[in-house]
Amino acid sequence: MILAISMMAFALTLAALFSYLAIKSKDLVKATVFSAGQSAAFALAFFLLMAPDIVLAYVAVAVGIYTVVLLYIISKTERYEGDEQ
Amino acid sequence: MSGRDVVIGIAAALLLLTIMVVVLSGGTACTPSTEIRRLAEFYLKHCINLYNKTWWTSSPAAVTSMLWDYRGIDTYYETSVFFLAIIGGVALFRVVEVKLGAGGREEKKELGLSLIVKTSTRIVFLLILIVAVSVALHGHVNPGGGFQAGSVLAVGPLLFMAAFSRRFLEDRLKLDRAKCVALLTIGLILIVLVIASPLVVGGALMQNQPKYWLPKSPWGYLTHVGPLELSGTLFFLDVAEFLVVSFGFTLLFIIVSIPEKEFRRLLGL
Repeated sequence: MILAISMMAFALTLAALFSYLAIKSKDLVKATVFSAGQSAAFALAFFLLMAPDIVLAYVAVAVGIYTVVLLYIISKTERYEGDEQ
Repeated sequence: MSGRDVVIGIAAALLLLTIMVVVLSGGTACTPSTEIRRLAEFYLKHCINLYNKTWWTSSPAAVTSMLWDYRGIDTYYETSVFFLAIIGGVALFRVVEVKLGAGGREEKKELGLSLIVKTSTRIVFLLILIVAVSVALHGHVNPGGGFQAGSVLAVGPLLFMAAFSRRFLEDRLKLDRAKCVALLTIGLILIVLVIASPLVVGGALMQNQPKYWLPKSPWGYLTHVGPLELSGTLFFLDVAEFLVVSFGFTLLFIIVSIPEKEFRRLLGL
């Protein structure tokens, strides 16, 4: 139980850190990669919550499809966010 | 990253940690309940009950039993919505030709990313294919199922499009829009056939295992073929859903990857 709780704490803290970095990052490609990292941490959390079916769909959609689609969209526009660009 | 950012980050992490500790230690009454609710207990007890087959689905995977047996119509409607959404997308882009125009062999070599990326994409695609097929075929005994397997497989063509080009997908793998639509439709037709087949012998719609309270009850799909577990309809429905989802997503990616230039040319802008 203690191990599960501490793993859960690790996964969710990691997710929080990744989402903070994704929001703060001015480089959109980096932000997308951080977002994928956040999804991976969430996948670990889902696994600890004993939802393996969700993990399988979530990893494929959030880390695979979502990331690649976002990168594709970024390739159609500018990579850096900001006023001077 | 300035000092202020670090402080905000640590504060947010601490806040989340505190909330989590409170929730896990029972601060919100019943959120992480350790008891199984009565509804869940019913499904867990009956999905593979060899001693009382009144309500069973002959599948040890309770989630798949719920998705394709107890709440099967729900999943069927979900699949139809997915299908119709994708067909709607295809209809919006119908003005664009199925295959892109010119493009000689010499042009093909220059497209895509570096050799390292291409080679690793090939290796990763093989792994994706194996995982997807195994998740689809074991959906009725393990966690996973049609939707999960389909979304895993859909990553493959997407990677090919990113690392090579869209033309590689159409010319080498022979996977173009018409073929995707065909496979997608075959998947949905398979689902409808499997769902409707019990009606022919007098069973109920979407009947999987014998239901003894029905007038013409003792009829059900095979639960085993030799040592292989089939779990009645669940195996076939999972495979059909796998077709629908994987080729549905692939079709969407093919549509999304139509170059803007091509589109403008066709619309005469």
